[in-house]
Amino acid sequence: MGCQHLEEIYELFLLGALSEQGALELREHLARGCPHCLERIREAVETVYLLSLTSKPARPNPQAKTQLLNGFQKK
Amino acid sequence: MSEALSAEDLLARVGQQDLAALGELYDRYAFRVFGLMMHILSSRDEAEEILVQAFQRLWSESSPLSEEGGSVAAWLVVTARQAALDRLRIVRKGKLRPDARAETAGTEEGIETSSRNTKVFTSAPPAPKSVPKTAGPRTGAGKSGPGGRAKFAAMAGVPPAWLPRPGEIELIDDRLGLLHKVINQLPMSQRQALELAIFAGLSETEIAAELGEPLGKTRTGLRAAVTFVKHRRRAILGKWAANI
Repeated sequence: MGCQHLEEIYELFLLGALSEQGALELREHLARGCPHCLERIREAVETVYLLSLTSKPARPNPQAKTQLLNGFQKK
Repeated sequence: MSEALSAEDLLARVGQQDLAALGELYDRYAFRVFGLMMHILSSRDEAEEILVQAFQRLWSESSPLSEEGGSVAAWLVVTARQAALDRLRIVRKGKLRPDARAETAGTEEGIETSSRNTKVFTSAPPAPKSVPKTAGPRTGAGKSGPGGRAKFAAMAGVPPAWLPRPGEIELIDDRLGLLHKVINQLPMSQRQALELAIFAGLSETEIAAELGEPLGKTRTGLRAAVTFVKHRRRAILGKWAANI
């Protein structure tokens, strides 16, 4: 299968915006190990990353870190 | 710990059960991940719960991630976003089962009190080197059988092989402000559609309904928006000389 028709949808696939059918088609194609699409999907992850970070950073409660680390130490 | 260590160096140490390295990664990335969680969930308790789960999962999955050599920052952002959206969908649909909450929050109280009563930190996180029960979204990830780890990863975030190289993400981080200006150049309707996809996790069909648009218009607009951002990104990062 050619990949040209997938060019527009890698990001939408990662964002979860595609229809089930579209997502299934791309997932099956990726599962076949298409190197072109693997490169494109990596690039799409970059785009999703930058889009996601349009949200402003915020400071979590300092206790969150303490409790995260303490939880492991208790094990 | 030395600032000279890259996130990927720290991840390798996390793979050796180095808690200080996990703490260092938390210090580097918690603000941006938490900001994203807040944007999606609008609840500090819920956002902190998902934030911590993301780092618990990073601890559990550090070895395969480290072996693949992908960007830690990208993994954290994409995985946490997916987990937050899955939580949001559950809350939205009113299907937050008491037992599901109990797994996550150590409480059997239901959805009405969940955002005020998130006690995830009071229950011990999963043991290192095991996939935590609570880390993944509840989208069928737990149904994975033999060979289910890849499925788990694909559904809850991205498989390690899909992650961009750390250098690519560093380039983006260096020019994030400029890249975000690109998004503001989008027509309002396209930007709205894109934001609904990014922060509300809506599908094309749901976005069309939300915006009161024909599906075809939404679909075309979303593709145009993503293509615009992608092309601008390539140009800004010097990967594509085309004048767009």
